[in-house]
Amino acid sequence: MAYSKFGLFVPCYVNALYPEAGVATWRLLEYLGAGAEYPAGQTCCGQPMANAGFEREAEPLLRQFDRLFALYDFIITPSASCAAFVKEHLDGMNGRLYEICEYLHDVAKVETLPGKFPHKVSIHNSCHGVRKLHLSSASEQMEPRYSKLKKLLSMVEGIEVAEPACVDECCGFGGMFSIEEPAVSVCMGQDKLKNHLATGAEYITGADSSCLMHLQGIARREKMPARFIHISQILAAGL
Amino acid sequence: MSTKNDILSSIRSHTVQTCDMPAIELEAIQYPDTVARFTEVIKSVGGSAIELQEGEDINRRIRSLYPEAGVIASNLPEIRIATVNPDEVETPYLLNGTALAVVQGEIGVAENGCVWIPQNVKEKAVCFIAEYLIILLDKSRIVSNMHEAYEQIRFNDNGFGVFISGPSKTADIEQALVIGAHGAKGVVVLLTTV
Amino acid sequence: MNARHAEAAARFIQNKAQEEWHNETLFLVREKRDRQAASLPEWEQLRQLASQIKMHTITHLDNYLEQFADRAEANGAIVHWAKDAHEHNEIIYALLRERQVEKLVKSKSMLTEECRLNPYLISKGIEVVESDLGERILQLMNKPPSHIVMPAIHLKRQEVGKLFEEKLQTEKGNSDPAYLAHAARLHLRNEFLTAGAALTGANFGVAATGDVVVCTNEGNADMGASFPKLHIVSMGIEKVTPDYKTLSVFIRLLARSATGQPATAYTSHYRKPRKGCEMHIVLVDNGRSDIIGHADHIQTLKCIRCAACMNTCPVYRRSGGYSYTCFIPGPIGVNLGMLKSPGEYSGNVSACSLCYSCNNVCPAKIDLADQIYKWRQQLDSLGKADRTKKLLSGGLRYLFARPALYNTALRLAPIINKTPRFLIYNNLNAWGKGRELPVFAKESFAHMWKKGKIKQHP
Repeated sequence: MAYSKFGLFVPCYVNALYPEAGVATWRLLEYLGAGAEYPAGQTCCGQPMANAGFEREAEPLLRQFDRLFALYDFIITPSASCAAFVKEHLDGMNGRLYEICEYLHDVAKVETLPGKFPHKVSIHNSCHGVRKLHLSSASEQMEPRYSKLKKLLSMVEGIEVAEPACVDECCGFGGMFSIEEPAVSVCMGQDKLKNHLATGAEYITGADSSCLMHLQGIARREKMPARFIHISQILAAGL
Repeated sequence: MSTKNDILSSIRSHTVQTCDMPAIELEAIQYPDTVARFTEVIKSVGGSAIELQEGEDINRRIRSLYPEAGVIASNLPEIRIATVNPDEVETPYLLNGTALAVVQGEIGVAENGCVWIPQNVKEKAVCFIAEYLIILLDKSRIVSNMHEAYEQIRFNDNGFGVFISGPSKTADIEQALVIGAHGAKGVVVLLTTV
Repeated sequence: MNARHAEAAARFIQNKAQEEWHNETLFLVREKRDRQAASLPEWEQLRQLASQIKMHTITHLDNYLEQFADRAEANGAIVHWAKDAHEHNEIIYALLRERQVEKLVKSKSMLTEECRLNPYLISKGIEVVESDLGERILQLMNKPPSHIVMPAIHLKRQEVGKLFEEKLQTEKGNSDPAYLAHAARLHLRNEFLTAGAALTGANFGVAATGDVVVCTNEGNADMGASFPKLHIVSMGIEKVTPDYKTLSVFIRLLARSATGQPATAYTSHYRKPRKGCEMHIVLVDNGRSDIIGHADHIQTLKCIRCAACMNTCPVYRRSGGYSYTCFIPGPIGVNLGMLKSPGEYSGNVSACSLCYSCNNVCPAKIDLADQIYKWRQQLDSLGKADRTKKLLSGGLRYLFARPALYNTALRLAPIINKTPRFLIYNNLNAWGKGRELPVFAKESFAHMWKKGKIKQHP
């Protein structure tokens, strides 16, 4: 472990819109003694284009990704969806590329975290986090219930953790789905927000800032009293 | 015949991979008390199961369940209150107007309240056209699950059999459950001890 | 025709109360399914078995079909083979014509929807009566089903009440479902007793025994098949299953997945014709044998038409069955439509947020969402790609493949935060129709890293 090289993968929209999630992820790794590097030249993994039906536009970006991270033993990212996409489309990523919560829970096996976050939060179980990375059990599948996000959050002092009704229903972001099917996408987001707010939580948090971005866009348009924070920022509180 | 061959050869020419049949070795659910579970499930699907007490007169019991029933159809010799024998009707149409039918079931299934009824009457219509249906079932013939049931079901020469689980129902208007769509509006399984 | 799902969906959502009811009602069905699934410790094992049995059967379909047909004929049924919808319809019409049947009573069959049997027979002068309550309602309205298990789920009771006032002379203003269903019972009973022939679909055909297995809750298949001298079964070739051992796996999954019931009220096995009567089975290919050769889409043939994928689909629930152009809506319908005619049905491919819930509920573990993803990759070569998405994808790739340009762009991006609203929130901006744009950070992560601001942190 001491000799492992860690690379931080900060997806394009996190880089531009939510750099604080990248910072928190870096700090969490630092806290674990895994000094991570941020390979320069990162842009996007190609997921938005591929999900929209343009895998060929994604290919050069995947190759770019592969080159940039070729020398790293571990690649850590604050985005479940991007992690899932790259794992599916590039060979050699299993056991190397991890979403930050997945890494903390499965590999570093953290049992305690030093921070405090004296707020009630509602967990946003994102589709790819749940159904591809298995960060929590999927509500459709008959398997023992678990949630790695819940377990990690419960290590933070003072926090109260809730989950919305329809616990892992899609929020309607879906990459370019959100612009090709705006009516359904917004409708799904409104429903999701209602369910989150009904928990009485002060913050909505999760492992995918892209879902949170979509929900935040709706909340701001409709002047709903919702606040959003990426899960890494809560886990890194006090670091 | 040529269409048959065309379809089969189209299937063959398109089959590029073959997959093996899995071993169906399943530890399917077992209930310690199949009668209790059967009774509970059949209630949940809108029917009921009643155990006939030892020495209790079946005709009296049926009468007390359906005191108003006019036309009662059954070919079972022990059903003395039957007014029509569905083995003796010329056409199934003559069973229209049947208030109550009493038929013999062969296997009960605890997991879903199904009772296997092979067609043991001349006109199977009797099972479906009657307003209410009573199924007699030997309670020692209740199995836990459908795998066991399918190992045991038998057909006779009539070549028809049906699993019935409770009364006919529909939820086609606004998902509101309505009992009694086309078939029986009520199903009682009378559990007997042979 | 290539109507876009997105536009039809937007119209459906405009009736907010109706959309909410549709969404919530179908989610309740999904939750009933969850409870039934959870009641069986072996649920996931059953799904796995169902998937494997189907794959085995589909890849040995010639053997099982021949076995089924031989058995059925040995039992006294007559088996017909139809290459396509037209042959299917002709065979059925010939059977009816030769016996001078004037009225056909039908129980639910998605295959006959696929083949458009009803309009064909009606054009030949046959009276066709649907007997499933939902199907009958829609037939009286001259509309297709909007859901494959709950065909009239998009209608409100008042609409049915009004329809029945007009067609069945029910009481004015009475829209109580029990009252209306009872009126339909009386009306249809007369149809059952006066029809010259009955047609049923087939949920399964058992190769080892020749049984046709039909599952209904209403008992309408049995009411139909118990009276007239002619029983016609319309059956897709993929419905065959080897034996009872395999059948029991599907029967345990079907009703639980479909409506959250432990079993349908009736699971009927038709093995022989009634004494002195005829039973005809029409085996229909209509493109199915071609799908066997599609490595990416062969799994659609595992479908047992339970509609669990519709009930869980967050897009279907909020857009309704009519927003899809294929006669089967929802995730399975998106795929079946593309297999049938990409040119005609590509407008449905956008109706998926790739949430993968459908994959997880499907009792046969069809990779529904993965297939939709694959269809999207083909839209461009079919000339059916969404222009905005294509431009965006190409443009973003251009930018993202040039890190230096990308970083410059990002430094300029916060300008958007201060751009006048009318320049941003206009008709060109689909995002901005119901959402505010995200706010660009003052400084990107990459920039902060370059400046050493991140490692400086105490």
